[in-house]
Amino acid sequence: MGKEYLGEFEELVLTLVAALKEDAYGAAIAQELETRIKRESNLSAIHVTLYRLEDKGYIKSSFGGSTNERGGRRKRIYTITNAGMAMLKAMKESRVELWKLVPQLKLIVG
Amino acid sequence: MSSENTPFAIKFLRTFCPSQLLEEIEGDLYQKYLNDEKLIGARRAKRRMLWSTLQYLRPGIILRHKKRKPIPQLAMLSNYFRIALRVMMRNKGFSMINIFGLALGLTGALLLGLWIQKEFSYDQFHADKERIYKAFNRNTIEGQLQCWDNTPRVLAPTLATDYSFVESTVSYSDYKAAYLFTVGDTKLMMNSGAFTDDKFFSIFSFPLVKGNPTKVFENPASLVLTESFARELFGDKEAFGETVTVGESGNSFPLTVTGIVKDLPSNTEIHFDYLIPFKFLESLEGKDTNWGNNSVSTYVKLRTGVSVDMVNSEIADIAKKHSKEDNTTEVFLYPLTKMRLYSRFENGVPAGGRIEIMRIMGILGGCLIAIACVNFINLSTARAQKRSKEVGIRKVTGAGRGSLIFQFICESILVALGAAILSLLAAYIALPMFSEMVRQPLSIDFQDLNFWAAILAIVVVIGILAGSYPAFYLSAFNPVKVLKGGEITSSGRNILRNLLVVFQFGFVVMLIFSVVVVTQQIEYVQNRDVGYSKDNLIYQFLTGDLEKNYAAYKTDLMQSGVVESVTKTSSPVTENWSSTWAINWHGKDPQSKIDMLRFYIDDNISKTAGLRIVQGRDLDLNKYPTDSTAALLNESAVAAMGFKTPIGETIEDSGLKWHVVGVIKDFVLTSPFQKVKPMVILGPKGWFTVVHIRLNPNKPVQESLDKIAELFSKHNPAYPFDYVFVDQAYARKFADVKSTLTITGVFSSIAIAIACLGLLGLSTYLIESKVKEIGVRKVLGGSVLSIVRLLTVHSLKPIFWAILIFSPQAWFAMHWWLESFQYRISISPFVFLISAVAIVGIALLTTVLQTYRAGQANTVKSLRSE
Repeated sequence: MGKEYLGEFEELVLTLVAALKEDAYGAAIAQELETRIKRESNLSAIHVTLYRLEDKGYIKSSFGGSTNERGGRRKRIYTITNAGMAMLKAMKESRVELWKLVPQLKLIVG
Repeated sequence: MSSENTPFAIKFLRTFCPSQLLEEIEGDLYQKYLNDEKLIGARRAKRRMLWSTLQYLRPGIILRHKKRKPIPQLAMLSNYFRIALRVMMRNKGFSMINIFGLALGLTGALLLGLWIQKEFSYDQFHADKERIYKAFNRNTIEGQLQCWDNTPRVLAPTLATDYSFVESTVSYSDYKAAYLFTVGDTKLMMNSGAFTDDKFFSIFSFPLVKGNPTKVFENPASLVLTESFARELFGDKEAFGETVTVGESGNSFPLTVTGIVKDLPSNTEIHFDYLIPFKFLESLEGKDTNWGNNSVSTYVKLRTGVSVDMVNSEIADIAKKHSKEDNTTEVFLYPLTKMRLYSRFENGVPAGGRIEIMRIMGILGGCLIAIACVNFINLSTARAQKRSKEVGIRKVTGAGRGSLIFQFICESILVALGAAILSLLAAYIALPMFSEMVRQPLSIDFQDLNFWAAILAIVVVIGILAGSYPAFYLSAFNPVKVLKGGEITSSGRNILRNLLVVFQFGFVVMLIFSVVVVTQQIEYVQNRDVGYSKDNLIYQFLTGDLEKNYAAYKTDLMQSGVVESVTKTSSPVTENWSSTWAINWHGKDPQSKIDMLRFYIDDNISKTAGLRIVQGRDLDLNKYPTDSTAALLNESAVAAMGFKTPIGETIEDSGLKWHVVGVIKDFVLTSPFQKVKPMVILGPKGWFTVVHIRLNPNKPVQESLDKIAELFSKHNPAYPFDYVFVDQAYARKFADVKSTLTITGVFSSIAIAIACLGLLGLSTYLIESKVKEIGVRKVLGGSVLSIVRLLTVHSLKPIFWAILIFSPQAWFAMHWWLESFQYRISISPFVFLISAVAIVGIALLTTVLQTYRAGQANTVKSLRSE
């Protein structure tokens, strides 16, 4: 997969798709981003990222059920593909590898 | 927020967001809004929603296409073409058949297309073409409503002065009389000019190189030349403003060149090398105001926005209003742009014309392409087995049917493209020859983008037409079956294939049939007894002083010993220049309007032309001085006039009385394809333009001509010696039908070649697939002959069907063609036989070598491997 890499925001979204499982759709991901890592994000950015990930083959999508709170519109539920999962794992491992290189300084207090 | 009451933000989103994303995005936006509403209140939530919506205005959303994977398609495309090329290279023979067949068909169609396009372009270049009309006369003649486009000279000026909806009019007439043009030492005889009126260049868009289009004919003694005629006369010197001496029958006039017109395009019905104003002619001879004298063409340009129907109802009775005598001829206008293709009238209404030929040519072109496509279809389906593994693998690895169809169509487009390139080359090479065949210059405009667009469109259409059936057929294979090595059962395909071959050869049958019929018809007419003797007969026009010195010239000729007989006449013996229904005779039905050909002679026509006298005698001025008003009738005229004893009867024409002294056997004056018309040959009181000279058959022709030339220059020194052999002039009457023969001949050959290529391909395939069967048959004692017979019968069966089914169609088509001739053959059953034998013969020739070779093949080789 060599040259393929994910941007920071892409990685976040991909991770959330993996985490949210059957409940991964645009608005839900935005909600999670806001509540969990206190990151204000606009919906359009999330959607564009989702489409990009889908184009790259890391996630796939299907229509889910519709609810009243969505004005009768169906959700598009995203699920992570094997390729996506592999990518995520690879990224996480490379981070851990790199992290190991950082001198494990004790937190310098005061 | 209810969904009926769509907020502005959503409406706005819908204006730019691709529809397949809408549902998801709208849903998420709603959901966020409801969330926000709870937290921060409706107003701020609304504002936030609008803001979020605005953020969707980004390329990642707006430019998102419906199809999600365009890039892999392109990658496949190059793969398809690579595979197609490899398949073509592997089966060179079959690829050749496909490409050459298609190229042949396309070349034919391309040439025909160029011709058709040319025909449709006639007189379409005039700036105001939709306002230009030609005037027609209409009257009931012999019980039939007839229309013709020769109109009185007075019509044009009368239309211009009496009717406000007429913008301008001209008379136009290209009398075929020859004039002598003299500039310094240059002398040229030309009969290719015309007389017309002042407004000529404001009606027609023939650009002038020199001169003012509205003022060229201000002065009566003026002359307009085409660029090339000006160059012939003046060489490199400036012609504009110079004087040319124009001579006719001993008179000569100085005319000033007031305009040089650019050489006329070939796609116009109007032809001239020079124009002289009628004004000039009329300053010499006076105006022709006779409404009964239909001597010119009349062109009319209407004002903008005038309806021609209204005009036609207004001007219908113009002749009746103006002429003193009773005149029932009606006048109407017909669009100039329709003159080329739609100018035949039947019973007073337009009834097609040249367009019918063009339609047939269009169908012919279409059929040529179709039979070439048939080859492609047949060979691709017949050889499907070879591609089945590939289809299976592609399907197994995930190719959808759509992409397979796409692949095969790409292949056929590739073949069509190759064929198109070849055919462009071939058409370019063949164009000069083809131009000669259709007798007008054709050209390919390689700079015309439309031309290339058309070629491209044809390639794609042919690719799809020829490729779609094989594509659907091949892509339908069941991968499990084909990969297990199962045979493709294809009895249904066989029937279709055979049907296509039947159609292909049916077309060939019709073409061969027509070639046979046209050939027979030409031969029949060429062998027709013309009624006079064409050999050793020449004619020349009475130019310059020749008319004045005719008597002396004749005497000198007769004494020279190289001439047997001399007669001057009103027109060549191969042409009809004059006809009338106004001849009166004793006992004529006053209602009768039989058109009689009119011909003037001085005397001795039977000796000069070799006409046969049936009753009475020829005119002879020496013996009978009263013969200046004598007349001869042909047999048809005698029958038409109902004379029992024609000798001694008197007929009246144009106020003169003529006494009939003899009856001649019918002879062909006009078209050898038509019946001989009633004809009166009137004596020396008429007018003369031609002298016929019968050469002494015992003297060498060249010697006689030299002698005549000598006498000619003695009596007519100013004019070049010119003459026409009557047999050559007569042969020219066959030019039209002969070009029909060449065209049908050439296109039949193309069609035969294509069909035979297909047959060759199919029989090759048949042999290939029956190698084992042939081997087994031979091992079991079958003879080579029996095997050849088996294979041949198999290949020829559809051809027999084609002959059976399409012969009647061919008969009908040729029957229709023959009906345009009064003097014609009837199609004999023999024709069917000839064409059938020809086709079967050709088909046999195509296949027999291969089948024979197959029968001879070594059985050990064919049976060894399994």
